[in-house]
Amino acid sequence: MENQELQLLKNFESDSKWFHENMDMLREKNFTGKFVAIKESKPIAANEDLDVVINNISKKGENPSLVFIEFVHPKGFTLLL
Amino acid sequence: MRLPLQVYFFAGGLRAMVHFLLQSENPHIFAPVRAIVDTGSPITILGLPDLKKMRVSQLKLKDLESRKETISYGGGQVRAKILRDNKIKIGEFECSVPIQIPVEEIKDCSQPTILGVDFLIENKLSLFFDPTKKEAYFEQS
Repeated sequence: MENQELQLLKNFESDSKWFHENMDMLREKNFTGKFVAIKESKPIAANEDLDVVINNISKKGENPSLVFIEFVHPKGFTLLL
Repeated sequence: MRLPLQVYFFAGGLRAMVHFLLQSENPHIFAPVRAIVDTGSPITILGLPDLKKMRVSQLKLKDLESRKETISYGGGQVRAKILRDNKIKIGEFECSVPIQIPVEEIKDCSQPTILGVDFLIENKLSLFFDPTKKEAYFEQS
């Protein structure tokens, strides 16, 4: 179980890394303003509505809890936390 | 002991980020989370997108302690519940911190999960962040 958890986290981190390093490419491919789900370094679902993304992931047999999902902000947008 | 963090460009600037596995029994949560380390935030708060993908309904949150004060979040004021019994695993490092969970939905909210100063205090961690070298880590004191 411990190893499975570590592997799960490693895969998630890897998809997060891919997302952050490919943000410009995602914008070029019209993902701006959408939530994008990444699995194994590939977008597997995207929509402006997060609920739609979650439903689409579930339909593909994936558990949304385990998938990296993030919003693609427009270039130049600054989020103050 | 040092826990390496990631430094990525996100929403306008370089941010120190941490990836962890969040576990809780009630409500049931088992999910990897990416959080932004924010020393400007006194509290740790679960982002609405993360809450949604975990499919934790408001009904499942009803037994959790309510936070008395509202939180300024995503451009509005929201009420929150506090998830105290949780396990956070950063690699093999296990820790915990009370996590604020927004109970009011804000439309179009893409606010990420934030790991605040409370996390550093609770787990006796200090933060090193060098955006120039894109290097960041937690260090246990």
